[in-house]
Amino acid sequence: KAVVDRVIRVDHAGEYGANRIYAGQMAVLGRSSAGPVIQQMWNQEKDHLKKFNELMVAYRVRPTVLLPFWNVAGFVLGAGTALLGKKGAMACTVAVEESISDHYNSQIRTLMEEDPEKYKELLQIIKQFRDDEREHHDIGLEHGAEAAPAYSILKTAIQLGCKAAIFLSERI
Amino acid sequence: AVARCQLSPPWRALQASAVLRRVSDEQKKEPLASSSQQQFDSHPADHQPEQEPQGPRPSYTGQGGQESEDYESEEQLQHRILTAALEFVPEHGWTAEAIAEGAKTLGLSVAAAGMFHSDGSELILHFVSQCNTKLSELLEQEQKLVQLGEAEKKPTDQFLRDAVEARLRMLIPYIEKWPQALSILLLPHNIPSSLNLLTSMIDDIWHYAGDQSTDFNWYTRRAVLTGVYNTTELVMIQDSSPDFEDTWRFLENRVADAMNMGNTANQVQSTGEAVVQGLMGAAVTVSS
Repeated sequence: KAVVDRVIRVDHAGEYGANRIYAGQMAVLGRSSAGPVIQQMWNQEKDHLKKFNELMVAYRVRPTVLLPFWNVAGFVLGAGTALLGKKGAMACTVAVEESISDHYNSQIRTLMEEDPEKYKELLQIIKQFRDDEREHHDIGLEHGAEAAPAYSILKTAIQLGCKAAIFLSERI
Repeated sequence: AVARCQLSPPWRALQASAVLRRVSDEQKKEPLASSSQQQFDSHPADHQPEQEPQGPRPSYTGQGGQESEDYESEEQLQHRILTAALEFVPEHGWTAEAIAEGAKTLGLSVAAAGMFHSDGSELILHFVSQCNTKLSELLEQEQKLVQLGEAEKKPTDQFLRDAVEARLRMLIPYIEKWPQALSILLLPHNIPSSLNLLTSMIDDIWHYAGDQSTDFNWYTRRAVLTGVYNTTELVMIQDSSPDFEDTWRFLENRVADAMNMGNTANQVQSTGEAVVQGLMGAAVTVSS
């Protein structure tokens, strides 16, 4: 029970944050050429969030207290990187999606080690979402993420932030 | 239950087994007396109790009962003693005396009370846990009736009122001594357990009330209901009206307040937005 609790809480927080990041990006770049691409990725994240909302109710999991914080932080990150231009937004996407894919992968490993049968449904969902996030990561690269200003610093900083967010959301 | 047996300090287990041996002459305990010698031997691996033991065979336990028909774990025994002790709470309070009396009714020595803290903590926590379980079962049953179409789904405020009232009514037989219990539950070494019991009870009530929030509302709703529950409980212990009608009226008002809070929050937001728009309009007018 404790395992499922953590998994769903942190993933819910992650998808919620991702939603807010894309919302921030759209707020700045919505009317630019990158608009449709970002919108499409955002729509997929909305579906992900919806799924985790359902799982949260079904498994009676407590959401993380930090949600209001991720609300603001996500939007600011999205809008901030979008202000660096389309490439900046893409760099942010690449960084975040890479963190999320790694995170999903380690969750899949944990669940497989515990009991693949018991967690079959959850594993299926996480695998699917991991593939989606991987796709977003690739789209980000295609659209010029690596050409963004201070790409490696930006990427490292964002990924550090993601790691901290994951650590906290699992626990609080 | 197995893990608990393994974790309990050896002296406790020995004391428990000593207790079980030093018994009165009720016939069901006789097999234990005769098996006392074997308690300290290695497992009687070839012997099967007649009745299926309720838990798995523990790898270590100093207690008897491995051979007798009523095999049970230390935890189950403690539960039985505490449940029996509740009967004596109105007279003796939440104390070791009540536990001792309870142990006596089960045919055990009064020294069985030595298994527990002297401040009656476990007795109170056991009682609270039992009440919460009863409440969950009650709410589960109600939910089934609604699902089968045999009962109407209650509006949220009614549901919350009824759930809190049902739970508080379980205190009525012990209401004289309840203030004592509340103060013991607030002792630092009890706070983790009592807080845990409180939060899971409140979460249960909201779950059955149909709460599906996945945002910060999850926390506000539970915080508000906890406030309602605690204040109503405090009113109840000072209430002397017939059948606690003052308490239920207080509860009704608090739940209504809680419901209004949601509306008030929305109103504040709308007003805030309107004010901002007004200011923007004024700014535009002034600048042009």
